[in-house]
Amino acid sequence: MEALHGLMLGFGVFLTPYNILIAVAGIFVGTVVGVLPGLGGANGVAILIPMTFSMPPTSAIILLACIYWGALFGGVITSILFNIPGEPWSVATTFDGYPMAKKGQAAQALTTAFCSHFVGAMFATVMLTFFAPLVAQFALKFGPPEMFAVMMLTFSAFVALGGKSPVKTVVSIFVGFILAAVGLDTVSGDLRLTFGTIQLLGGFNFIVAVIGLFGLGEIFLTVEEGLRMEGVSAKMSVRVILATMRQLPRFWKTYLRGALIGCWMGIKPGGATPASFMSYGFAKQFAKNPEDFGTGTLEGVVAPEVAAHAAGVSAMLPMITLGVPGSPTAAVMLGGLMIWGLQPGPMLFKDHPDFVWGLIASIWAANALGVLIVLCFVPFFAAILRAPFGILMPTIVFVCAIGAFAVNNRMIDIWYMIIFGIVGFVFKKLDYPIAPMVLALVLGDMAESAMRQSLIMSQGSPLIFFTWPIAGVVNGLAIVFFFWPILKAVRERLWVARGLPQKV
Amino acid sequence: MRKADGICACVLFAFGVLVVSDGMRLGAFGWGMAGPEPGLYPFLLGMGVCLGSLLVLARVLVQSRRGLPNEPFISQGGLKPILWVAVPATLMVLLTEFIGLFLAAGLYLAVYTRLVGRSRWVTVLAVSILLPVVSYIIFYKWFQIPLPMGSLEAHWPF
Repeated sequence: MEALHGLMLGFGVFLTPYNILIAVAGIFVGTVVGVLPGLGGANGVAILIPMTFSMPPTSAIILLACIYWGALFGGVITSILFNIPGEPWSVATTFDGYPMAKKGQAAQALTTAFCSHFVGAMFATVMLTFFAPLVAQFALKFGPPEMFAVMMLTFSAFVALGGKSPVKTVVSIFVGFILAAVGLDTVSGDLRLTFGTIQLLGGFNFIVAVIGLFGLGEIFLTVEEGLRMEGVSAKMSVRVILATMRQLPRFWKTYLRGALIGCWMGIKPGGATPASFMSYGFAKQFAKNPEDFGTGTLEGVVAPEVAAHAAGVSAMLPMITLGVPGSPTAAVMLGGLMIWGLQPGPMLFKDHPDFVWGLIASIWAANALGVLIVLCFVPFFAAILRAPFGILMPTIVFVCAIGAFAVNNRMIDIWYMIIFGIVGFVFKKLDYPIAPMVLALVLGDMAESAMRQSLIMSQGSPLIFFTWPIAGVVNGLAIVFFFWPILKAVRERLWVARGLPQKV
Repeated sequence: MRKADGICACVLFAFGVLVVSDGMRLGAFGWGMAGPEPGLYPFLLGMGVCLGSLLVLARVLVQSRRGLPNEPFISQGGLKPILWVAVPATLMVLLTEFIGLFLAAGLYLAVYTRLVGRSRWVTVLAVSILLPVVSYIIFYKWFQIPLPMGSLEAHWPF
């Protein structure tokens, strides 16, 4: 009941002409950002954070959240029409989406994808609405050891779930933490890792890192592969849209399964991509005609989309309740919260209910609005990608440079952006995952102070992380996750040794 | 690919050593006025990076010993387009230091759209003049972000 009350409050906050206008603008900009190569949710949000400094925090988060939803929609358009997955979790959508588009069923594929997006997002939003207050209530009891444990779990999840090489994931996380530690140590007042230079005094800003790593790095990758824009044109007609929508309820089982997988995986960081593949895999396994998958079936578009977008929304849950984001984009938004002067974490529900519920209400409204907007403007968004790359690319670099500068109004940040771009390219090529590094960069200060405060509480004994009940359980889980790749390898060895068929 | 992997691991190892040494300088093991000394945290992280990069390096060495198939770090013909993005972008930033972001961006857009994009002169001019002007109005005037103007700041008429 408390949740419904909060939701009413949220809609009261959201339903002002200004906020609705901001939401529509956000979805529009976000979709453009999602369609453009080199720009995605994370750096689209990062570039626009400086523009929100003068807004009230609630409007600011609505804008950023809507850019995020818009970017998710944009990714769908590029994967189906151009076979270019804008984001890693759109990869599974290309399996059946692009073949459908080539068969001349682009409109059906897009309608299906957007509707699946809507269902997934709504499912996760319901979960968020009723679950988030409970989690926040529980998290209020958390002290520094528990917070530290939750962060350890977050990063261990990356090691267990993502990336081709667990060791490289760990290295990438540590590099992120190190970059976050550069500059003034707030506890002792010492300068750390500045090596006597003034430039390093201010440390590294994660927004600049995101713009460089995801923006420039992505552009380098795109041009290396040689961009092929073999787009299929889409003609959307109301008749086709309605006819497609009438077919969708048949797939209710796929919807339900995908939404559940998405919600569950999305809470863990980096979960959207495995969620979309898992959902696709399950749908194929349970389908009556699995051999149709990959040739362009509606169900093959439904499954990954539902899961990816349910995961995208449920990534907000740990962000607003614990202050630990579930995706790079959520991490950037979390950084925005800190800049606007809000302390992320369970206290948000108590101190700024209008902010939290305004955000949740905006998720409800924005996803409904978003489906309408993108359905109407698909040809327009697709046209952007047909603009010559020779014009798009320098424009994106220019916009990235403005965004990087505007964070702190420092020239050096534009240089950092270029350096991060090169680092991002090298890391991507060598399978060092970038998302956990960004998350570490955002959470670095929080993780460190949680660790140091815990050590002060225990007077130096690291046992505090295991003897406190909640912290102990969470840390135990974190350790299992951390060594999961090794455990898995050992188990597979044992299977082979016993001569049993290997499990996939 | 393997060579690049090895080099990257070595660079990361050196980076880790640098961080560890700075942690040691600040004191990593003592108990200071406010709990653990400030060097502990960088020290631990640096050690982690060192350890991880050594593991990566070890695997690279094992792989090349076994002669597992390797692929080039940058795919065939991929380097040129990358440099065509990286070098002009860097030059733009360098120019920004002197003549400000908007002029530098205008030049950069013009050069790139003409030389790489091979657009018509009309398009080149339209893009390289319109984009900086529009962003000047939006970001500099509207959002009041003091974007770098270089040494032109003093003589800027608007």
